[in-house]
Amino acid sequence: MKIIVAIKQVPERDARIRIDSGNKWIDLEDVEFSMNESDAYALEEALQLKEAHGGEVIVVSAGPERAGKTIREALAKGADRAIHLQSSDETELAAYDALGVARLLAASIQDEKADLVLTGLQSDDLGLGQTGVILAELLGLPHASLILKIEVAGNGLKVLRELEDGWFQHIELATPAVLTIQSGNTKLRYATLMGIKKAKTKEVRVIAVADLVASDPSLKPTAPSVVLDQVKLPHKQRSTQLLGGSPAEAAAALVEKLQFEVRVI
Amino acid sequence: MTVEAGVSVAKRVVGGSFLLEDLTPDDVFTPEDLSEEQRQVASTATSFAEEKILAQAEAIEEKDFAVTRELMRELGELGLLGVDVPEEYGGLAMDKITSAIVADNLSVSGGFSVTLGAHCTIGTMPLVWYGTHEQKAKYLPKLASGEWIAAYALSESSAGSDAMNIRTRAKLSEDGKHYVLNGEKMWISNAGFADLFTVFAKIDGEQFSAFLIERGTPGLSVGAEEHKLGIRGSSTCPLVLEDCRVPVENLLGTAGKGHHIAFNILNVGRYKLAAGTLGGMRFAFRNGVRYAKERVAFGKPIATFGLIQEKIADSAAAIYATESAVYRVVGAIDAALADLNHDSATYAQDVQKRIEEFAVECSILKVLGSEALERVADHALQIHGGYGYVEEYPAERSYRDSRINRIFEGTNEINRLIATGFMIKRAVAGTLPLMPAIKKVMDEVMAGPGERVSYDGPMAAERALLASAKKLALFTSGAASQRFGNDLGEQQEVMGALADILIETLTMESCILRAEKQRKANAPGVKLAKYYAMRAFRVIETAAERVLGAVAEGDMLRTQMTIFRRLAKHEPANAVILGREIAAAMVEAGRYRI
Amino acid sequence: MSSVLVFLEIKNREISRISWEAMAAGHQLAASLGVPVDLAVVANRDNPLLQTIHGKVPRTVYAIDDPLLHDYTADGYTTACAQLIEHAKPTYVVFPHTYQVRDFAPRLATRFQQTLISDVTGIEAGPAFTRQLLQGKLNASYHHSGSEVCFLSIQAGAFRADAAEAGSTAVEPFLPKLDATQIRTKPGEPFRASAQTVDLTSAPILVSVGRGIKEEANLPLVQELATALSAELAASRPICDAGWLPMERQVGSSGQTVAPKLYLAIGISGAIQHLVGMKGSQCVVAINKDENAPIFEVADYGIVGDLFEVVPALTTAVRKVKS
Repeated sequence: MKIIVAIKQVPERDARIRIDSGNKWIDLEDVEFSMNESDAYALEEALQLKEAHGGEVIVVSAGPERAGKTIREALAKGADRAIHLQSSDETELAAYDALGVARLLAASIQDEKADLVLTGLQSDDLGLGQTGVILAELLGLPHASLILKIEVAGNGLKVLRELEDGWFQHIELATPAVLTIQSGNTKLRYATLMGIKKAKTKEVRVIAVADLVASDPSLKPTAPSVVLDQVKLPHKQRSTQLLGGSPAEAAAALVEKLQFEVRVI
Repeated sequence: MTVEAGVSVAKRVVGGSFLLEDLTPDDVFTPEDLSEEQRQVASTATSFAEEKILAQAEAIEEKDFAVTRELMRELGELGLLGVDVPEEYGGLAMDKITSAIVADNLSVSGGFSVTLGAHCTIGTMPLVWYGTHEQKAKYLPKLASGEWIAAYALSESSAGSDAMNIRTRAKLSEDGKHYVLNGEKMWISNAGFADLFTVFAKIDGEQFSAFLIERGTPGLSVGAEEHKLGIRGSSTCPLVLEDCRVPVENLLGTAGKGHHIAFNILNVGRYKLAAGTLGGMRFAFRNGVRYAKERVAFGKPIATFGLIQEKIADSAAAIYATESAVYRVVGAIDAALADLNHDSATYAQDVQKRIEEFAVECSILKVLGSEALERVADHALQIHGGYGYVEEYPAERSYRDSRINRIFEGTNEINRLIATGFMIKRAVAGTLPLMPAIKKVMDEVMAGPGERVSYDGPMAAERALLASAKKLALFTSGAASQRFGNDLGEQQEVMGALADILIETLTMESCILRAEKQRKANAPGVKLAKYYAMRAFRVIETAAERVLGAVAEGDMLRTQMTIFRRLAKHEPANAVILGREIAAAMVEAGRYRI
Repeated sequence: MSSVLVFLEIKNREISRISWEAMAAGHQLAASLGVPVDLAVVANRDNPLLQTIHGKVPRTVYAIDDPLLHDYTADGYTTACAQLIEHAKPTYVVFPHTYQVRDFAPRLATRFQQTLISDVTGIEAGPAFTRQLLQGKLNASYHHSGSEVCFLSIQAGAFRADAAEAGSTAVEPFLPKLDATQIRTKPGEPFRASAQTVDLTSAPILVSVGRGIKEEANLPLVQELATALSAELAASRPICDAGWLPMERQVGSSGQTVAPKLYLAIGISGAIQHLVGMKGSQCVVAINKDENAPIFEVADYGIVGDLFEVVPALTTAVRKVKS
């Protein structure tokens, strides 16, 4: 089975949040990056499928040069090769909305004719949760989202999909297909030192965004339909009354509130 | 700056030359220079430490060795036990920086780190360096995979620092097929569950030699676990050898040359120990900082109080300094090994010779790391107040675990003597041009106050301190040699004080070069380097005064003190403000972050 | 003529709460634009649920009906909705941000060469749409450019459902042209992992525990507090993923949505996925050692501190008051 995993490099979870001077994104100076969490699970699913059924795992990632680090991390974990859709700087991709980025990704993986395309459910930074589903539409493939488990069944797949309120369902679909993977259902592997050593010798095909656009003018970001105007730090939805003092004092103060103001005791 | 792995970024410097050479930032390796591959190794090690080792911290502490062995096996699977093992024997044969990174980032449990160090370094390296092909093929794959655990048995009840004084005897059997060993070993790490022991004994009471002994060999028995102050998660037992018959093919290296093994292993053991203290420091520090953020007193988190911030800043600077020195020295070792031919028949000896060149630096790192760890662990405990003194919080464990580091791999007293002693030996032998340098400083200071060199850049003041430190080091060494001549080695207190000057000079220089290499005046490292440099210089001043007081009196002393004051002259920076700024950044991050 | 078209979702044999909220958002948007609101539901025109539609009165309710839509599939819904949009030509299409919508709406938007503005938490003048980035640590304001149809999905709890108004609405059946070959996935029957034995949604007090508890062995600490308060024990996703508590005790987007009188969040940082499941609570108390944890943004009372100290103290204090 030939599996493509679309992964994204995002700021680390405990990154310092400071809005940059353009008010469009955070200041990336001194920010560390890591692989988007649900993408890491998508990669893990792909590697497990390959181990069980053979085949090839190819990662694709759109981002500036720094995303190469995350790509090589995926190679170290066991992906066979990679496609880096490389933007020239931090802002080039910001001119595209989710559909625009998905078009670029689709154009860069089209020729691979993969049996399966996996992505994480959503990114931890923009959180749009759409790239995988849009990719399916662009590639003309069926899809299923919020997937926890993938089994090969006959000529197709049987996948476990998470529903709301603790419900689940199985979905059967033929390959080629696109699946978006939910986090948390399996243990993520560590990159072994052997894998890290080998990663250096694996192929990373770098495609410059500008070159891809030049080859297909319909990919141009002429007018994204959705435009980010500005970002702000959230204001509190409620005013929190902080109860201080020693643990015992804070506990006593809280119990008093629960008794006389919330009236639940 | 990221560079390709395997490409050495450090200049090839001569071991021990740090008092003589003026290096530029580009000459040294710093933690910021780690290659992407090395960073990935660090990431695997860190994740393993956080998710696997810490999760089992209690079981480890309770000597549930099944857990320890399982963790070791998992580490083996990941390749983390095989960094220094050749590829043909199941290892990865990676660089020494990578080896240090693994020791560094896996250290979140003192007990487990001891298991790991005893296995990877003193347990495995003798075999890597001295084993025959058959010995290596038989044992190394098992050690690299974690299937077998190794132990190193040198110490005895009455032979510790004076290791050559061991009493364990070996005798060739009449048929010439076995050595028969008799004796007792003490303080053997991993003994409780190790599968392979490297045991030192004297053949016929004379030839100091090493033997590979498998667990279960008749005549080898393991005694009861010691009840230790700290590192309780590690196994420490005596061994008893009673007519233990070891096949002759298990003699490691050449009969009578066992001291080469013992001494050369120690250099690696020392820098790896120092690397391991880094992980321990960051762990203790993080616990202290988090507590300081959470604990409220007088209506405010205690992290807002100056004397707490001072502890945080001092700890952070100690971590930064140790990191700077460890990675600089190990980077220099990698640079020294870079041009060796792996296929040469003498490769293993060549490697040891090159590493031995850095024996002074290895001893310095050992003392630096162990004392910095103890300092950081002590600060973390103190920040916790009463809670630091009870087992519910990890501060207490860090504090107890830190203590052993000043004792094993050569006590800090022995290592101080080695640092100064080796330096003097090199000077006398002329392998390092220290004598001319000392003479030059002596002439210069006797000539009276000269022009002060001025420096630029964000570290200008610290550069000036460093120049003074080097001169003080040469000046005090010269003064001590003049006074005691060949007897200087007997003056342990003076040797110790000189070692303090060496340690702090190397460390301070490492901090300064690292901060400069970041090439940003506002880089967080700049503040830490400045903070540490001040502290280092205070230590140097104290030690220099101690040396001078011991080597001169009357007019001579007055003259020397005048020179001393001239060399040490500087205006103190505002350590209070600097400390608060450092602490604020660390408290915001909730951990050591630069 | 332009309009706002709101899709309602039927779940558990009723129109889901979040659908009313999406409808309120649709009405707010329509009022600002001065255009009418149409509704769409996948249902037969005679489905009695259509009579339960309340709130502000819409212009038309489209009942999208086809046997191939009885079981939800992304392909079926996408094609049917696309045909309705071609027919009704709305300027804005508003969805509740549910798992089902997340599954097909991006695909639908793509058919119109558009990007869905997902998980919207607010609509300001412009219109500008607010959504959260970096897991709630940042708010971003977006606008839609061009004259083509714009797709939005509305986060649970972000809008308050409108009060009912008098008036009647014409239900207009919409029969899409669907072909079984267009549907490429075969959905199975939904199931629960295990029989449900607790109903978090009816508990007046919930004591909910998150990652801060560190180890399964520490759970009794929180259980004791729950017992003292006569509360049910709940948890955030990592706790249930780890198997420390059953899935049925999970609060959040993949678990239960709750609105108790008191929600006590212990060691829960407050990722959006969790907040959407509990922010309707009447009173939220958060105990967390990180003063910057997003949970404090929705908390009425907060204690910044080590839960291992605060929780036992609280249990003692509650017991003292109750005895």
